[in-house]
Amino acid sequence: MLSIPDTYPIDLKPFPSDLSMPYTLTPGRAAGIFLAEIGNKRIVGSRFRDGGTVAVPAQDFCPKTGDSEFDLVEAPSTGTLNAFTETEAGIIGLIRIDGSDFDFPHQIVDAGYDDLTVGDRVEAVWGEGAGESILGIKGFKPSPKAPVGSIKPLENPAKQVEVVPYRMDLHYEHAFGPYYGRLFDEIKTNRRIMGVRTSNGEGALLPPRELDDITHKKTGTWVEVKQTGTVRACSVIHLQFIGQKQPPPYIYAEIILDGALTRLIHNISGIDMSRAKELVKPGTRVRAVWRDGEPTGSLADISHFEVIGGEDERS
Amino acid sequence: MGRHVGIVGVGQTNHSRRRTDVSQAGLVREAVDRALADAKLTIEDIDSVVVATGPVLFAAVNQPEKWVVDAIGASLKPVVRITSGGGTGLAGALAGYYQVSSGFADRVLVVAYDKLSEGALQYSISTLYDPFWGREFAVGIMGFSAAYWRARMDVLGHTEEAAAMVAVKNRKNSMNNPYAHVKKEVTVEDVMNSKPLAWPIKTLDVPPISDGAAAIVLSTEKLAAKSTDRPAWIHGMGYFCEADNAPERSLLVSEPLAIAARRVYRAAGITNPRRQFDVVEVQEPYTCFELSYYESLGLCAPGEAAELIESGATQMTGDIPVNPSGGCAGANPIGAAALIRLIEAASQVMGKAGDMQVPGAKLALAQAGGGWANLRGVAVVGA
Repeated sequence: MLSIPDTYPIDLKPFPSDLSMPYTLTPGRAAGIFLAEIGNKRIVGSRFRDGGTVAVPAQDFCPKTGDSEFDLVEAPSTGTLNAFTETEAGIIGLIRIDGSDFDFPHQIVDAGYDDLTVGDRVEAVWGEGAGESILGIKGFKPSPKAPVGSIKPLENPAKQVEVVPYRMDLHYEHAFGPYYGRLFDEIKTNRRIMGVRTSNGEGALLPPRELDDITHKKTGTWVEVKQTGTVRACSVIHLQFIGQKQPPPYIYAEIILDGALTRLIHNISGIDMSRAKELVKPGTRVRAVWRDGEPTGSLADISHFEVIGGEDERS
Repeated sequence: MGRHVGIVGVGQTNHSRRRTDVSQAGLVREAVDRALADAKLTIEDIDSVVVATGPVLFAAVNQPEKWVVDAIGASLKPVVRITSGGGTGLAGALAGYYQVSSGFADRVLVVAYDKLSEGALQYSISTLYDPFWGREFAVGIMGFSAAYWRARMDVLGHTEEAAAMVAVKNRKNSMNNPYAHVKKEVTVEDVMNSKPLAWPIKTLDVPPISDGAAAIVLSTEKLAAKSTDRPAWIHGMGYFCEADNAPERSLLVSEPLAIAARRVYRAAGITNPRRQFDVVEVQEPYTCFELSYYESLGLCAPGEAAELIESGATQMTGDIPVNPSGGCAGANPIGAAALIRLIEAASQVMGKAGDMQVPGAKLALAQAGGGWANLRGVAVVGA
């Protein structure tokens, strides 16, 4: 295996990173009652006391003035189409419910793009089994003869929806660039961990990078670092949390590999976890254990670090 | 040299584990109403707004500043959003300070909040790790923070017992804080025996997860008198960073905090912080950080933090009380936490800290931190 001193582009597919984050959102009072009343097929707005501005759907604060004093009102299910566009998901329109001072977006149903004109009269189409979601209204359909409705006081408002479950699934593709590209290509292909020399040539920066963080000078040539190293810092993880990649207990460790100046984050395994506090400490010597099977070109190709005997080479 | 800037009004919510009665915007509105009332002003009197929050992933709302300005009646005013991890509240205050100091605005409203009950906290925080280099091993910043506390134990003597004393002190002080939601005194034994989460960090070393908001009004000297005859004058403020994974980064003493402190102390004429400050508020995401901050802020020399907490000097009755408010131990709405520290420091020198008041406090220090321990800020406020 030749040591290749230069940085060069490597044609790698981007590194996929998926996040799936659960949420429990709180709509607040006005929007919470709006959502609750969707189940009753009623559209709720708020009429602000200072000036009588009406917002449909209901909001806690007047979008114009910030007024927070309001009465909940029952709005009609009719309104005017003030703007629209066609998307892959269908036609989306800005609708102004009769009596409201603001537009809100929703789907336009039972109509083609060419059938629509700004200013058209529309009315709500309720979904089957309308739940406590704005999608309980299936959409708004053209209704040329719909009479102009009016705002009424809201009788017997439902209890507000307090929590709305939500999830964001985010899929990223991170470009490796030449430095990470070579690093992970070497890990995948040769099971070598490569850094770059600092601008003064003493020791390697890992992960490799273009500029030295301290001197801000261009870094030097590539160099392989050893697969043994010393624990700089470690903790014993018992906490369980959403998104965790492995069941606790396990050891979180920041390791300085021999020949490197900077840290690599990984786990230490293969010890009696009930004695983790005494067996793994800053200064403990460790060695990379590679994972069997098809390499992935990521830090996951190293299964874990194991504890070995001996002293810190640098001390 | 810019114009003098004073904090003339402060407000915060009564923080809680979970507010299901208000939206994120509603939470902010409560703090803003309180800050404006405290400053005897209305939103009409405000020239510009700074909105500070934690990462978007905490609450799934992108561009929350737009939602916020509408909810506080500030549409059509200048607005910027600042996000800088846990220290974002101080970073936001710094942005507001620059606006007033430079002459861009005469009065700026700075609002900071997070509604942490809505998202998956540790998962969100873990995304501050490099996706290529370590994210899959991240435990929020708790695993990392615990790891370097373990390293400081050996080198600087920051023992579990010393950190437990921080928990005892801050939880005791929280009893006097009307805005705190964790109000239970604990003993050193309670902390030592509490369940390990990321050993050496244990349950009682960790602050609560909170919903909360905070707001301040910053003003020029000329307009301050309309609000109060006793503003908290900002004598210096700074927010510094260090490289994430640089060769000389030991993480034993917080280098960016030491740099921030040195720079701000020079501006504020501080040569002996322990003697000159009457009171200190630090943002301690875990008890171990308070020990580290004692050293980086120059309240004691590196290696003497355990001795400092043991001596009782940082208790309410000591010569340099730290966190009369209870710090993050009483409430920790992350995006607001640093602004809350500034508010508590300001309230001390304004003489309106209530049951938390350090008698005669004239000069106070506030500290903030964010990111992967690589963003650190300091503010000095005086009567």
